Amino acid sequence: MFLFANATIYIGLAIAIYSLLIITLGISTKNQKFVNSGKGGLIALFVCAALAMLSLFYLLATSQFQYEYVHDYTSSELPIIYKLTALWAGNAGSLLLWTFFLTLYMIMIVFSRKMKGNPMVPYISAILLANAVFFYFILGFVAKPFLLLDTVPIEGKGLNPMLQNPGMIIHPVTLYLGYVGLAIPFAFAMAALILKNVDDFWIKATRRWTIIAWLFLSLGNIFGGQWAYVELGWGGYWAWDPVENASFMPWLTATAFLHSVMIQERKNMLKIWNISLIIVSYALTLFGTFLVRSGVLTSVHAFANSNLGLYFLIFMAVAVILALYVLMSRYNMLKRSAGEFQSFVSKESSFLVNNLLLVGAAFAVFWGTIFPLVSEAVRGTKVTVGLPFFNKVEAPILLSMMFVMAVCPMLAWQRSTVKNLRKNFMMPAILAVLGMILMVVLGIQKAWAVIGYGVIILLLITHYLEFYRGVKARRKMTKETPFVALYRLMIRNRRRYGGYIVHLGIAFITMGIIGSQNYNLETMKTVSLGQSIEIKDYRLNYERLDQKREGINDIVYADITVFKNGKKLGSYQPEKVFYGNWEQPSSEVAIISSLKEDLYIVLSAWEDDGKATFVVKVNPMMNWLWFGSFMIVIGALFAVWNGKYGNVTPRYTGVRSEVS
Amino acid sequence: MKNKIYIGLLLIAFIFQGSILQVEASQINYKSAEFKAVASQFACTCGCGQDHYECDPNTCNLTTEFKKDLVEMMNKGWDKDKIRKYYVNIYGEEILTSPEKSGFSLMAWVLPFVVLGAAAAALFIIIRKWVKKRGAEEEVVTEYENTEDEVEGEILSSMIDEERKKYL
Repeated sequence: MFLFANATIYIGLAIAIYSLLIITLGISTKNQKFVNSGKGGLIALFVCAALAMLSLFYLLATSQFQYEYVHDYTSSELPIIYKLTALWAGNAGSLLLWTFFLTLYMIMIVFSRKMKGNPMVPYISAILLANAVFFYFILGFVAKPFLLLDTVPIEGKGLNPMLQNPGMIIHPVTLYLGYVGLAIPFAFAMAALILKNVDDFWIKATRRWTIIAWLFLSLGNIFGGQWAYVELGWGGYWAWDPVENASFMPWLTATAFLHSVMIQERKNMLKIWNISLIIVSYALTLFGTFLVRSGVLTSVHAFANSNLGLYFLIFMAVAVILALYVLMSRYNMLKRSAGEFQSFVSKESSFLVNNLLLVGAAFAVFWGTIFPLVSEAVRGTKVTVGLPFFNKVEAPILLSMMFVMAVCPMLAWQRSTVKNLRKNFMMPAILAVLGMILMVVLGIQKAWAVIGYGVIILLLITHYLEFYRGVKARRKMTKETPFVALYRLMIRNRRRYGGYIVHLGIAFITMGIIGSQNYNLETMKTVSLGQSIEIKDYRLNYERLDQKREGINDIVYADITVFKNGKKLGSYQPEKVFYGNWEQPSSEVAIISSLKEDLYIVLSAWEDDGKATFVVKVNPMMNWLWFGSFMIVIGALFAVWNGKYGNVTPRYTGVRSEVS
Repeated sequence: MKNKIYIGLLLIAFIFQGSILQVEASQINYKSAEFKAVASQFACTCGCGQDHYECDPNTCNLTTEFKKDLVEMMNKGWDKDKIRKYYVNIYGEEILTSPEKSGFSLMAWVLPFVVLGAAAAALFIIIRKWVKKRGAEEEVVTEYENTEDEVEGEILSSMIDEERKKYL
């Protein structure tokens, strides 16, 4: 098994190098046979990565502790699902997963029906293969997943209990799918530039890939937040940790990219900007990996410190320099075909402002993340840049972003006249202001909350009007019933209405964030058996403290009966778990969820006489946040769905080449 | 005489003010707003990635001691800025959850907005350059008068396109 598993890595590396060289040779000598040989290599590479994955799954599932990776991340009593998902708990395994996704994406792109005969294919393959060579090199020489220990330990170290949560099964997978996914539009963009194709084929061809990568990045962040909320016992979901920032930055730039490409498609403009955005997004995925794996910044997410981060930094630098070189060498061609704007007030302009704010937000996150390093380098003083900084800096930028999101649908392409603006905005603006006044009257008086909710009211109205006007216009021509008209309107313009659903999802998330950040309540109390804790409308009766054993873990739990306004809601059991193979205990919180708020109960400590300390929080509108996340998924899937009226990849009309 | 009584009462109040405040302050709740304002300034270094307000004193010894010290200082009547200054003098700026708003650290706060402002100005100039200089507004070839017409136009063209695909 040892030989077989290692062979999948080293043969994979050899195949990746061979395929890269032979495809490059095929391109330069215009020899289709060489290119085909390289394409065959892609399949072999995928098989190698798949076999390596299966090998590691097998070793983890059968607890073969003679392997360092299995020993470090599993133990024999671990449930089988966590034994398997330990594959991405450590450096080597997670990079293997990354490599597997990369090879999978390569196969899907290169052998897709739509790309048959496309001269961009060899270039795309070569760019993605360069990535694969790097990852196989890392797996072969730096983070080896199949390393044998000198002795055979009886037991493994076990998996960090924090990672034993359903959220952790999905969170890294979705994040990696997002990270790797951004390599696809990057490879297309580079291939287009190398081939001197300055049209928007690469954008249209990768539109769905970009949305899918964006969706996975969103999911990765959402699952990460959800995991933090239920698992860390902290009651929060986003801490602006450097690693969270690392996944948020490419999300922001990819969002900017998804919007700015519409201007290129419509007006043949912003070509340099779009390519720059995709280069930055791709580079940021590598930068994130550098942060996680290098240990240069303190983070709760950091993998064991290693020199791995340095390799990623070097690879990122090389990739960015080469990409910028290609971009600069085509600069004049890209510049030549630039179009023009007709007005300051138009949908195009609002997209540019959107890009400004999204990239500005990404820069602020980047700057805050690296500032400790900058400070140390410049004046030798380390500083911590944490949650208060990011909340203060990001809040106005992202709120402005929400405002642009609210206004944009109402602006016309080309030019919005004053009459048009008045007609479209007067009523929504009045309603938003009335909503804000009502909020103040009802007691919601914190400035951020009032402004934030006011902007969201505006957003909801403008988006409603967008659907309403579409249905009305359709009905005027077709006499369809409203629901049929809405259905047909949406499925015939998936990207637009999928995008609006995503906007609504973001609005719900924002409402959840504003509510939970501004109006949360919490208390920490030590109570004796039979005593109660009161918070807001809730009364928590502390009934019992007991202990149970599950496998090698000891669990201390409290029975709490919860009443709301005197009405019994039920009995709940917050727990503290002591792991047989892990020093740090973890809190299993009890959450009573409703549309209005979550009651969040943490068993913090206890004494021999049965007294226990509880942290109890009321987190408003948490379900709005999760519901918004769900809408984002629905909207993104709706936008990329390939139905009868789905987005069609256009026919390739670019530069012809003798190899494809 | 009355004045003397008042002065006497004031003196007594002054003498015992410390103990009166102490009684009140010793009841400081770790989850109270006043404690939050003080404790959330300081980053816990136990590896939890949280500040001393959030970090659970029942699982982290470091924050237990730190919180006790904070309460002691609050009992002495120190305000959050004085406590902040005290810790920065001992541990340096690293102990804070966010950089100071002075000296080099001010850069952290200001630069994002400076860059954003500069980029906004650049964007304004670029759009102005792009906007075609046309004299009269009537000359502008506007695709649609307003968004409603635009939506209608788009729907119509998509329907035409659909029919075209069906029959051609």
